[in-house]
Amino acid sequence: MKAWLIICAVSLVTFGMRASFMVFADPHRFPHAFRQALTFVPPAVLAAIVAPGLLLRDGLLDLSLSNERLFAGLAAIVATIFVRNATAAIAAGMSTLWLLQWLGV
Amino acid sequence: MNVSSYTFIFSSAPLEIASPREEFWAGCREVSPTLLGAIPFGLVAGIVAIASGLTPLQGIALSVLSFSGIAQLVTCQLIAAKAPAVVTVMAAAIVSLRLLMYSAAIAPHVAHLSRRWRALLAFLMTDQSFAMTVPYFTKPGDARYRHWYFLGSALTLYLFWQAAVIVGVVAGAQVPSDWSLDFVVVLTFIALLVPTVRTRADLAAAIVAFGVALAAAGLPYRLALVIASMAGIAAGMAIELGRRK
Repeated sequence: MKAWLIICAVSLVTFGMRASFMVFADPHRFPHAFRQALTFVPPAVLAAIVAPGLLLRDGLLDLSLSNERLFAGLAAIVATIFVRNATAAIAAGMSTLWLLQWLGV
Repeated sequence: MNVSSYTFIFSSAPLEIASPREEFWAGCREVSPTLLGAIPFGLVAGIVAIASGLTPLQGIALSVLSFSGIAQLVTCQLIAAKAPAVVTVMAAAIVSLRLLMYSAAIAPHVAHLSRRWRALLAFLMTDQSFAMTVPYFTKPGDARYRHWYFLGSALTLYLFWQAAVIVGVVAGAQVPSDWSLDFVVVLTFIALLVPTVRTRADLAAAIVAFGVALAAAGLPYRLALVIASMAGIAAGMAIELGRRK
């Protein structure tokens, strides 16, 4: 029951965010500072999502050379700078990760 | 006299008007490079849903109704951690804040459509459709049916996503963990992150959020994500205000 409640609430929240300006409100009616802050949401939120995936191992910071995911992530960043699509990032990142795992570095 | 210049002079419409059907198929076609990423990501989302203790039906319902990979993952992680429902929904809301920004950016391009159309496009809107459709809407030329392009790309992604999630839910536990498929999620977000960094203020927002996410990693309930996002936004604003003075 609790799970269904969460599922409904999360779905309402995601739809509400999407529909906010597309369906309900005119963004120009909001203060400039608010719209300014909104433009920083994607780089901030996305970086906050990516960081632990690259640098945390079992909840601890791993800055060692044996952290394959860090190097795979860097390869994906470089690939995305040159070729702007997700396929390039995934291809570069996964091939680097698998290569490093196979080499057992 | 050649026919095209004739048309140009005597018709008020631009030379090439893409029909709704052409726009729709163009959207379906051009979304295909993103599908490669959506399949493993969707598999992971399905696997995590089952691992969190949701029933297959609940896992699929969460995906069909919310259609947001990261919101699904965060929700499942917090359900698995037995977090209170309010905390779970809050965390899903924070990671979905970026949809608010996308919605604001897309809004002017769909303002002429009926409310039903706008609600449909909003329901299907994702990071990928934002990245694809805003440049497409702002291209010169006839924009009359460009919402069909949006629909084509978004609907294709929706169907592929749900198929991948369902496979993940059903076959999940059988995918070998040493394939590191979960890392595809991180890579997908790297591909989304890089193009959002265009100015020094964007870069500051990303770097601060990145650092704070690591520094606060020990906090429970994925609070690090919330705090890091807020810190990043504040850093971006600070650079922006400093620049203007």
